[in-house]
Amino acid sequence: MKVAMFQQAPYRFLPADFEQHYAACVTPRYRELADTAGITATIHGMLDELVLGARSGFDGVVMTEHAQAAYDITPNPSLPGAVLANTLRTEDIDAALIMLGRSLGKTREPLKIAEEYAMLDVMSGGRLIAGFPVGLSYDANINQGIPGVDTRGRFREGYELLRRAWAADEPFAFNGRYAQYAHVNIWPRPVQEPHPPLWFPGSGNPGTMASVLDEDAAFVLLTWLGVQVGGQGIFDRFWEMCEEKGKEANPYRVAVVQVCAVAETDERAEREYGPWLERGFHHGLGSIPHHFFLQPGYVPLRGLQGMLRATGDPGIGARLHEATFAELADAGCVIVGSPATVRERLEAVCREMRVGNVLAMLHMGEMPHELAEKSIRMFSEEVLPHVRGMWERDGYEHRWWPTGIPETAGAVA
Amino acid sequence: MATVTDVREEIVPVADDRLDMRVQVRGSGPPLVFLHPAGGFAWDPFLEALSEERTVYAPLVPGVSPADPDAIDDVRDLFELVLCEQEALSALGLEGADLIGASFGGMLACELQATFPGMFGKLVLFAPIGLWRDDAPVANWMMTAPEDFPALLFGDPGCEAAQAMFTLPDDPAARADAIAAATWAMGCTAKFVWPVPDRGLDRRIHRISAPTLVIWGRDDALISSVYAEEFGRRIKGARVEVLDGCGHALHLEREQETLALVRAFLGG
Repeated sequence: MKVAMFQQAPYRFLPADFEQHYAACVTPRYRELADTAGITATIHGMLDELVLGARSGFDGVVMTEHAQAAYDITPNPSLPGAVLANTLRTEDIDAALIMLGRSLGKTREPLKIAEEYAMLDVMSGGRLIAGFPVGLSYDANINQGIPGVDTRGRFREGYELLRRAWAADEPFAFNGRYAQYAHVNIWPRPVQEPHPPLWFPGSGNPGTMASVLDEDAAFVLLTWLGVQVGGQGIFDRFWEMCEEKGKEANPYRVAVVQVCAVAETDERAEREYGPWLERGFHHGLGSIPHHFFLQPGYVPLRGLQGMLRATGDPGIGARLHEATFAELADAGCVIVGSPATVRERLEAVCREMRVGNVLAMLHMGEMPHELAEKSIRMFSEEVLPHVRGMWERDGYEHRWWPTGIPETAGAVA
Repeated sequence: MATVTDVREEIVPVADDRLDMRVQVRGSGPPLVFLHPAGGFAWDPFLEALSEERTVYAPLVPGVSPADPDAIDDVRDLFELVLCEQEALSALGLEGADLIGASFGGMLACELQATFPGMFGKLVLFAPIGLWRDDAPVANWMMTAPEDFPALLFGDPGCEAAQAMFTLPDDPAARADAIAAATWAMGCTAKFVWPVPDRGLDRRIHRISAPTLVIWGRDDALISSVYAEEFGRRIKGARVEVLDGCGHALHLEREQETLALVRAFLGG
């Protein structure tokens, strides 16, 4: 199993009762809530934790893109990505640079993403994993002003353009519906052959999962709910589709974000991390109103009818603004405890759901930097070495992992 | 009194047969075109009353009909939408017909009149969008929480018309479908006005030559009644009526007054 460290940049100094006073974490006023010291500690803390993760033996570091929000202040993940790419290269760290990533449904400059990813692949020494999220509705539609109905069309067209731009031997003109370029001839190109691994984050939409399989890419369940709650029903469907399409049920096709925290004992872990994780859920995804995820046009009519007709218990995912630590832990949204506890629970859920890549989220919300560092260190020293061997005996080949710069590349004359 | 069974739907191929325009038709008498607001179309009491004396044609923005939701993908921009509307109305022999446009439909009616001056009859606008003033920004209806919609659309959110609009079916599936349809309709229309409902109408509006009536609610929370004066000033000879104690959905909140103004203006 590959275990990477997933990092976002939540503003770390929101008031404890933030969710009582602000309708949404994607609309609060900057000057009312943030200051120079706080924003500096937030951004520097994120970078320092990412670098620590890279140096601590994680198989990769993961970054995401969200604009105009208090819960992830990373307008372009290529910015921290560049910092980490250079760290991996100069310190000769064999870890993946996982961008989950620049949003092709949201951007008005798709070719820039092709160029940025190519540059990151070069900078990191061929360690890029190229992630292609559609983009959350509030982010694509509200922040970027993309009409909801155009989000998916833009994503598909942008992806087609990016793949052509990476592969083309000759410059070409691109007459897209959303983007037109008279002359496409990007420098640099990715150094991995034939291209960096392609990962597609999603939330379990069957259409998305089918196209991921058809593309022979990896599927990333990008949620804070974790393997067990987030993946319930979704991974069963994914593996069914995999079988229907005659593809190998290779666990490395699947990655999922999992919130974890490690301390010396279960009791201490709960005491130290519990309040911060609870607040992180309340102030983060729990503080995004439902209709911000579903701007009109973002979900096609049939999908919307299906979602609204679903009568089942929406579960803890609908109560993130008020869920207690105990509820989050019991449900499996967070895996928190001693190294032995975290190892066992992580292995059990990944084995059950056939997950080959875990993206461990170790910092959340307003958790202090020192505490995040402790969790990163303990996870990397006492959990990571034990769970890494999972799936090795099963003999699957990981075809969705960076290869580095091909040896045939030779040296500059 | 007309009943729903009197409604028929004309399906008119447009855009070199790439696309069908769906036009709801009801009533008898001289033709009248109604262009619906951003949230979609319904035979509301105002239109029911109007269809007593007029044949009301209501073209749906492509995609708004749940029977053909993907049609929105075949219309690329506002210009194509204007062409599709004109092709459909011409195919139905509605050149010369009067146009009423409400909110989003008001903008569309202006675009039709400005693009094809002289092609249609009189123009009636119910609190149209389409212009923008930085000192009076149009409210962001797309970001509005569902529970805040009554206050956005009605001067008195507790009025009977507001309750009628926001009362959902009891059956859970029908309820889900109704919410989905209204959401999708807003998504389809947003394609032509999102994120700021200004596609340059201010640079074309002077081309409108039709006799025009602009009606506004004094307490419009979605688009301020200062825009009544804007439209009145920019459309030559336009008459402006502002209704006191009334919000954005003026033909629903003040049905009788609106009907009287429209009847008097259109004549017949």
